[in-house]
Amino acid sequence: MVDFLIKIAVIALYTTIAMLVGILFMGIGRKIVARVHNRVGPPVYQGFIDIAKLLTKKTNISHGWIYDLALLFSLTGIILTILFLPIGGVKLLGTEGDAFLVLYLLAIPALGFALGAGASGNPNAAIGVMRALVMMLSYELPFVITMIALMIYYDTSSIAQIVELQRARWAIMIPPFMLAAAVADMALQGMLMEAPFDIPTAPHEIASGPMAEFGGKHLGSLMLYKAGTIVAYTTLFVDLFLGGGVVMHDGSILSYIVNFAVWFLLILLIFTLSLLINASFPRFRIEQAFKFYWKYEALLAFISLIWVYLMVIS
Amino acid sequence: MGLSDGDIMRYEEWNKISRIASRKSLWMLHFCTGCGAVELPPVMTSRYDMERFGMGPMATPRQADVLLITGYLTVKTLKRVVNVYEQMQSPKYVISFGSCPINGGMYWDSYNTVKRLDRYLPVDVYVGGCMPRPEGVMNAFLELMKLIDEGKARGWEKYQKYYEQYKRNQKMAFGFERGKNEGD
Amino acid sequence: MLELIFTALLVASFVTLFVKNGRVAAVISLIASLLPVAAIIDWGNEFGLKIFSFGLEKSMDFPIAGITMHFSVTALAWFFGVMIFFLIPPIMLFSYSFFEKNRGFFPFMLFLITAVFGILLASDFLTLFFFWELMAASSFILVYMGRDRKAIISYLSFSVLSAVLILTGIALIYSQNGTLLFSNVAFSADEVTVSAIILMIAGFAVKSALMPLHAWAPFVYSKADEPFVAFLSGGLSKMGYYGMFLMLFALPGAKILQQYFDSTVATYILALIGAISAFIGTLLAFMEDDLRKLLAYSSIAQLGYIAVGFGIGSSLAITGALFQAFNHAFFKSVLFLAAGAVAYRTGKWKISELGGVAYKMPFTFMAALFSIFALAAIPITSGFAAKWLLYEAAVSNKYIFITPIMLIASVGAFLYSFRILYGVFLGENRHDDIKEAPLPMVAGMFLLVMPLIIFLIFPGYMLDMMHSALVNAGIGTVSHTNYVISTGMASYNTIAVVVGMMIAMIPAFLIYVLRKHRNIDFKDNFLAGEPYEIYGHISMHAANNFYKPIEDVLMPYLRRGATSFYMALYNAMGRVSKTVRRIYTGLSQDYAIYVAVFLLIIMGWLIW
Repeated sequence: MVDFLIKIAVIALYTTIAMLVGILFMGIGRKIVARVHNRVGPPVYQGFIDIAKLLTKKTNISHGWIYDLALLFSLTGIILTILFLPIGGVKLLGTEGDAFLVLYLLAIPALGFALGAGASGNPNAAIGVMRALVMMLSYELPFVITMIALMIYYDTSSIAQIVELQRARWAIMIPPFMLAAAVADMALQGMLMEAPFDIPTAPHEIASGPMAEFGGKHLGSLMLYKAGTIVAYTTLFVDLFLGGGVVMHDGSILSYIVNFAVWFLLILLIFTLSLLINASFPRFRIEQAFKFYWKYEALLAFISLIWVYLMVIS
Repeated sequence: MGLSDGDIMRYEEWNKISRIASRKSLWMLHFCTGCGAVELPPVMTSRYDMERFGMGPMATPRQADVLLITGYLTVKTLKRVVNVYEQMQSPKYVISFGSCPINGGMYWDSYNTVKRLDRYLPVDVYVGGCMPRPEGVMNAFLELMKLIDEGKARGWEKYQKYYEQYKRNQKMAFGFERGKNEGD
Repeated sequence: MLELIFTALLVASFVTLFVKNGRVAAVISLIASLLPVAAIIDWGNEFGLKIFSFGLEKSMDFPIAGITMHFSVTALAWFFGVMIFFLIPPIMLFSYSFFEKNRGFFPFMLFLITAVFGILLASDFLTLFFFWELMAASSFILVYMGRDRKAIISYLSFSVLSAVLILTGIALIYSQNGTLLFSNVAFSADEVTVSAIILMIAGFAVKSALMPLHAWAPFVYSKADEPFVAFLSGGLSKMGYYGMFLMLFALPGAKILQQYFDSTVATYILALIGAISAFIGTLLAFMEDDLRKLLAYSSIAQLGYIAVGFGIGSSLAITGALFQAFNHAFFKSVLFLAAGAVAYRTGKWKISELGGVAYKMPFTFMAALFSIFALAAIPITSGFAAKWLLYEAAVSNKYIFITPIMLIASVGAFLYSFRILYGVFLGENRHDDIKEAPLPMVAGMFLLVMPLIIFLIFPGYMLDMMHSALVNAGIGTVSHTNYVISTGMASYNTIAVVVGMMIAMIPAFLIYVLRKHRNIDFKDNFLAGEPYEIYGHISMHAANNFYKPIEDVLMPYLRRGATSFYMALYNAMGRVSKTVRRIYTGLSQDYAIYVAVFLLIIMGWLIW
């Protein structure tokens, strides 16, 4: 019973920290983009201020109960996803599910968000969701191919297990997975909706797309969701290719802290990379993005998959 | 678009955290159908960089806190401005930009421009001049932040309190009781 | 007692033929459709569903016209029975409100149920074929009621194709074995048996709308009555997979194929066809504007997964395939019924003409939403467990082509799911004068949603139900408890997901409750400052050509599909027939000349 409670406490702690890190990253991201633009930029804690402001708005509007589902589903779904991702080698619920489960859990907030956007009745929102879904179809193909390559190589589909098996060396040090990681990183760019793939929420074209009608607490929870996605996707990448940031295995208190710090640095690195690309590229059109992912990315991903397959069967 | 009782909040309930957060994270919607929009890019980009105060441009009124109205307003656009303003969530602030919304400016004798914006919407901060320079805009933002901090930026409350009067003024500006197909 | 059930069903079918009032006919059919359900529950005592028992016999020999029909219930038939017969009472409940007048739906539906009951119980090939044809005939009449030429012709020709393939297969098996009883048939790895197996699988694949043989489905699904289509997609399509399972695993066809080809190439091709069905079906689905056609393509896609499972053939894969079949039976029925309910109130089928229905029909929307979660395999319903098993199977067998295709098809399912959700139920509120569907319709839909939620939390029950079918076929089962499925690769704990979701909901719920909001009208919407009234005459519903950008990219590749091939074939046949018909001029002297020429040829041949 005590073990169970400790586990619950650890899970709650890690999830809370992950969400806070996500909010911090939103500020860091804006700062980095500002520096690339040769601006001063907002303080790094700007994300906290924005969310606090949105959640303390005096009035909130709602377009009905389906619109409110966006608030409930998006935040719930992203926290649930984080529960199933190993963070800094701590498995949380990672042993109870696997990579496929995480892929589909990530669809819960997306679909909830889409429901709310649809219920708002704004045509811009519907167009934004259409773009987001097409983007999803686009980047998922190369991403799942790289994921399958990992699964075939390690002969497991559990992320916790994959992290565990990367103790000796991280996946990215194996030649086919260098290619796969490069592909997955570009897929990550689409997942995080950073330029050149910020098509779904293009503010100048379709009035920020799905978020057009969101304000107050609804927008605040969507920002929390956004913060969560940053952590979830970068952690997924780090878990799959960079060994989850695990460098110490002795199980002492120090190892937890060190692993956590390494995990933080790695996701910051991945996120920074994505932001540097974001800051220096204009936006693709949706069909260009689709072609990019399904032609070049998918091809490269498939080469790495076949490479891995040949390595495994020989 | 009417306001319910829940909207009429007492200023005393306004807690400190909310005020600080609101001051440091003003999201702006710029309504630039008049002139002067060209003064805003320097404010947003690396020369003056309003993002260092946590400000940023927003796409829709639902997300925004500050409504920046640049240049003159015709009677026709006033209708849209009011619409946009009412779609914003409280607390919300209005900054008027240029001399036209103050007294009509060079359109002082025009038959179809709005001479005094203050009659139709509660303006919190004015930026005078024709055109005001980006420094002026920045100064206005800082002034607004100071007012919020001191609890003096209470335009949105005023709008709720004197809603009937504002509506009457707006209707007078439109000239007649417009029916379903108004606004063309 | 078994013959009593058959007789009662037939009598009910005959009686409803003469009942003009739709309500009365629906009640009679509802009661009659409970008979097979009762039989299934009774047999459940042996196969893992212990509710009650009244001692129904498990096999029966029925001599008729010189031959004997052999009936007996197997674990496999029982599992498919659970899947199919539990669908029918809710559908009948739905039909109670759907059909004001009895236009022939009820008698032929009952006849169809009789035929399906016969197929599942048949334990020799001849009985199987007999009832298969009865099923084809009665479902053809139900399709015929749609009064759409394309649907009728395509369904008839594909049914005939299916029948010919199956009959040829049966004949070949008979020539090899001299017996038609399943228990006596002994397969050997020779050309005749292998071609028989392949022919019969192709014949069954027609019914389950597998990709090259799917062309009838979109026409039929979009034109027949909704309750029938719900059963056609949910129930009858599974009969094809029942046949496939029978040929491949219950009779060890898969092993024979493996022996004959000395590799798993034949079953690999089946899996690949399934995956391609899933992929192409999905792509076609989200470009469709007709709600029923969209659901038809979605059916093709979702049924493809089952073929993938059968093709892979490991215990994981087959468990996943059967699970997927079960889920599909329920969620696709709900979706077709929801489409029917929406059309019942609005009279519209085009997604671009609908919109905002959810505000007026919230319960229909809820049912549709849950089935869409199952369709998109979101882990809020049991839909996920099935697909998860299939992915696990494909990855653990290192199927590097099939797995990505399956996964991306499943992502594509989000696209058409949102098309249904937004286009039909959300968006601009265009229907002010409609109200919620009648209570029986809603009740029917919710009854069908129930299993999806039960098996979300306890997928172990589902695996228990198919346990004996898998063991009898010598496949082996997946290790599981009531709520944990574990494979060699990973495990899936449903309780962790459900409880985790409840805990994860706390912050969102707090935000939702603590910060008050007010509801506003749809019309108070951000349209760049313009009041909604100005746009009153313009559609604010972004539903025309919704996926245009991606359609432009994909359409050049999809234009030359199987359907266009069949249309070309149809047109060519039409031209040939026209040419042939020129012989029949209608003038007696021409016919006299034909006879004379014919006689001359005969004479010449005799003399020579």
